[in-house]
Amino acid sequence: MTSTIPKLPQDMPVTSPRYVGKEVKRIEDPGLVTGRTEFIDNLKLPGMAHAAILRTPHPHARIIRVDASAAEQLPGVVAVLTGEDIKRWCNVGATSPEGWGSTPMAVEKVRFVGEPVAAVAAISRYVAEDALELIEVEYELLEAVTNPEEAQAPNAPKLFEHNASNVILDRNYTWGDVDRVFAEADHVYTEKFRWNRVGANPMETSGCVCQWDVVNNSLTCYGSYQTPGFIALGRAASLNLPSNRVKVVAHPHGGSFGGKGGPRGTDIAALLSRKADGKPVKYIEDRVEYLLAGAGQSWDRYYQASLAVKADGTLVGLKVNLVDDQGAGAEGYGTISAAKPLAAFTGCYTIEAAQYDLKLVATNRAPTYPYRGYGPPPHNFVLESMVDIAARDLGMDAAQIRRMNYIAPDQFPYTIPSGNEYDSGRYEVVLDKVIAMANYREMRELQVKARTEGRLLGIGIVNTVEPGVFDWNAYSTVGVPGVGVPEGVKVSIDILGQITVTVGFALEGQGQYTLAAQLVADYFGVEMESVRVTYASTDIAPPHFGHGGSRLGVAISGAIMGACNKIEEKFRLVSAALMQCEPEQIELMDGHLRVKGMPGAEMHIAQVAGTMLGRSDLLPPGMEPCPEASFVWTAPDRNEPDEQGRCKSYLTAANACHIAMVEVDRDTGVTDVLKYFIVDDCGTRLNPATVEGQIQGGVAQGVGAVLYEEYVYAADGQPLVSLFSDYLLPGIHEVPMTEKGALETPSPVTPLGAKGCGEGAIHTTPATIMCAINDAIHPLGIQITETPASPNRLWQLLQEVR
Amino acid sequence: MTALQHVTVTVNGITYERSVDPRLSLVDFLRHELHLTGTHVGCEHGVCGACTIIKDGMAVRSCLLLAVQSDGTNLQTVEGLRNAETGELHPIQQAFIDEHGLQCGFCTPGFLMSTLELLADNPSPTDQEIKDALDGNLCRCTGYQSIIKSVRLAAAKTSGGKLAGTHGSA
Repeated sequence: MTSTIPKLPQDMPVTSPRYVGKEVKRIEDPGLVTGRTEFIDNLKLPGMAHAAILRTPHPHARIIRVDASAAEQLPGVVAVLTGEDIKRWCNVGATSPEGWGSTPMAVEKVRFVGEPVAAVAAISRYVAEDALELIEVEYELLEAVTNPEEAQAPNAPKLFEHNASNVILDRNYTWGDVDRVFAEADHVYTEKFRWNRVGANPMETSGCVCQWDVVNNSLTCYGSYQTPGFIALGRAASLNLPSNRVKVVAHPHGGSFGGKGGPRGTDIAALLSRKADGKPVKYIEDRVEYLLAGAGQSWDRYYQASLAVKADGTLVGLKVNLVDDQGAGAEGYGTISAAKPLAAFTGCYTIEAAQYDLKLVATNRAPTYPYRGYGPPPHNFVLESMVDIAARDLGMDAAQIRRMNYIAPDQFPYTIPSGNEYDSGRYEVVLDKVIAMANYREMRELQVKARTEGRLLGIGIVNTVEPGVFDWNAYSTVGVPGVGVPEGVKVSIDILGQITVTVGFALEGQGQYTLAAQLVADYFGVEMESVRVTYASTDIAPPHFGHGGSRLGVAISGAIMGACNKIEEKFRLVSAALMQCEPEQIELMDGHLRVKGMPGAEMHIAQVAGTMLGRSDLLPPGMEPCPEASFVWTAPDRNEPDEQGRCKSYLTAANACHIAMVEVDRDTGVTDVLKYFIVDDCGTRLNPATVEGQIQGGVAQGVGAVLYEEYVYAADGQPLVSLFSDYLLPGIHEVPMTEKGALETPSPVTPLGAKGCGEGAIHTTPATIMCAINDAIHPLGIQITETPASPNRLWQLLQEVR
Repeated sequence: MTALQHVTVTVNGITYERSVDPRLSLVDFLRHELHLTGTHVGCEHGVCGACTIIKDGMAVRSCLLLAVQSDGTNLQTVEGLRNAETGELHPIQQAFIDEHGLQCGFCTPGFLMSTLELLADNPSPTDQEIKDALDGNLCRCTGYQSIIKSVRLAAAKTSGGKLAGTHGSA
């Protein structure tokens, strides 16, 4: 008999799951609240040196000369790295479309403020920074291009001289009969939007300790890596090593949100170690470095969108034109985040045809990198704002126009024009639930009253689809090929029956070690506390990717269920032999292998494991004495995209509806979020407390992006943000305390019915607050179409109608 | 290089004597000289609060102080919260676990120490008082809602009795 991966928690071999679906306490937490968890800056290796990086103050310049001789002479300095070493040892990073990548340190020219030009390893960070001051760099300044318009001008200075222009990618996707749909529409609304740069800013910056084994020519990198296997492959490519000669050891890290993937620091520390004859070298990025030039800037976008609508409010067509300022090249996978909206281009709606004009442009700003949400937050801001613009013009309520355009529950699986297939959803139920929770009608009455008092009170009601469980195929058309994202685990039961789960990713904050323990404990009917979850470095871990794309919870559920299932099959064979029956007569239930229909004829899994490892004489002939199994999961049924980028990419489609009430102060332009309600349907909630934490954290980042955060650049290309006093992360007073409700529509296509849920709130919150602000100010005849809606920006708008 | 200076400081009840470079920051001293790595560095310019410790009863940013400025003081860090003899967590630590007041946990030691100061001064704070007390600590993961719940729970568990200080402290 072959069992399969359980489709729902109640299908697990346990009378009633004790942990899965319950608000269990996290096994990660005792180490974290006591300060014992080993973040990378806690690691010390014998003989370790400390690196500091010299960064250019110029946005665009040719390097004429680098003189590091004085630095080399400073007592305590063990190695100095310059562009000459890079030229000798290093390749252009493989993370970008051909011709648009960079080496970890500038060789001939610098392209953005903060780009590394030299580095020092010394006995302490203090001495290393002293040495930086002794390095002389002579530059020939070049004209900088600081926005896409300048970058595309005729005769604009080119960032990469070997390319024809500064345009990295220019393509059009057309899905369905767009021309007909727009011609037949009763209304076509068109608007421009601007989303300014924001970024991840995890509380821990990135860091590493690298050691080059100069005898065996191999490299070990310890660090705060979100995707260890990927980092290992990248280092092999950039540092000219065979891929099996790079070992990456990911440490628990203080958040990432996509914005910790920059490999430059690791490459530099690795080469300093190589130059220091194999001494380990630690590099801890500081916050100024992170803000200037870390992998922490994302989504610098100029949009124009058109929405085609029938007279009755039916949405029929969507055109989006996006010009994305990628910054100095495409090293940071910024290209991908422009492509991700294909996975949910038309949101919750039955829009029949769509078009996406996508242009990615290089400028002398810092390169853009991933950030939680990976592109849809700006896209949804545009889409949902357009829906509100249509509703206002048609005199419809914002909830009503959405309701009448929803994909209905019986239409799933539903293929959207841009090709992805949504698995399931009940959008109207989610809407009704949040409307009831918010008492939406009363909110509107409050608004009417406030308006008569001259107050600017607004309500935003916004719904989105969160594509979950990312797949590489979503990005094939922007230069990242592949189908499938394998994630593997190993489950082992020792001779005393204790269980260990081995994974290829480190703690990052989402509670996936806890989830692993929940799953295994319920599968084998043991206490969660007795399951140990441990990390394996890239040289010994099963194939893995790690965190990213609202995927890991679902992926490790699949991998763990698969591995447990394999062990169950082995145990069935062994226990059948021991209990003298056929394997088909054995079932696993509550941690025991039982002979069906014979009460009392059973063996505990510990007995079976102990027998396998300690009594080979009792095993069936040919049975491997191995009470462990590995399983590598990837999403089923994914395919290659067609020429228009259409494919089954993200496996799950979670859905949420947010309602916010805001008040804009007419005198100061300050927006106060008065109330905030959320109903979210991400399928089975494997640990509801963790899901709620993901949602609230996404709200906080969404609030930051839409009201406060912005990487500001001066007209000459100088970044004006280098401190947290310039880049305003929302604090405890700024983030609304939300009221949350849940709907659970289990995914029919995932293990246990869970859907990706790590990014939904940041997809939804910026649009919700922006729509609320526009709802507040539109009676004055103004609207805001640029993020963040900072007091300054709103005040200027309000002054125009004074 | 400037001459080293002598520092005598008590941390979590243990007195340390060291000679330090005058420019060494207090947080680097704690982390790299005393190997008390539970205090984290988030911004090194006094905004994020990850490095918050208690100095002579007051919450301070250890990234904005020099090690030499701690000479003769009594410091409490996150390592001192847990009772090493019984293994018991401090009620504030336990409350953060119970209410899911952390995700990545990097900012958490700073929040715990700010909460320690708050509840020592005000055993039953209102939500507004909690927010005011924690306004100098940034968290990028939780969105703060569960942190407020954690502080409420910690207050409820300890109110009525004097809140225990850090283990080993005076």
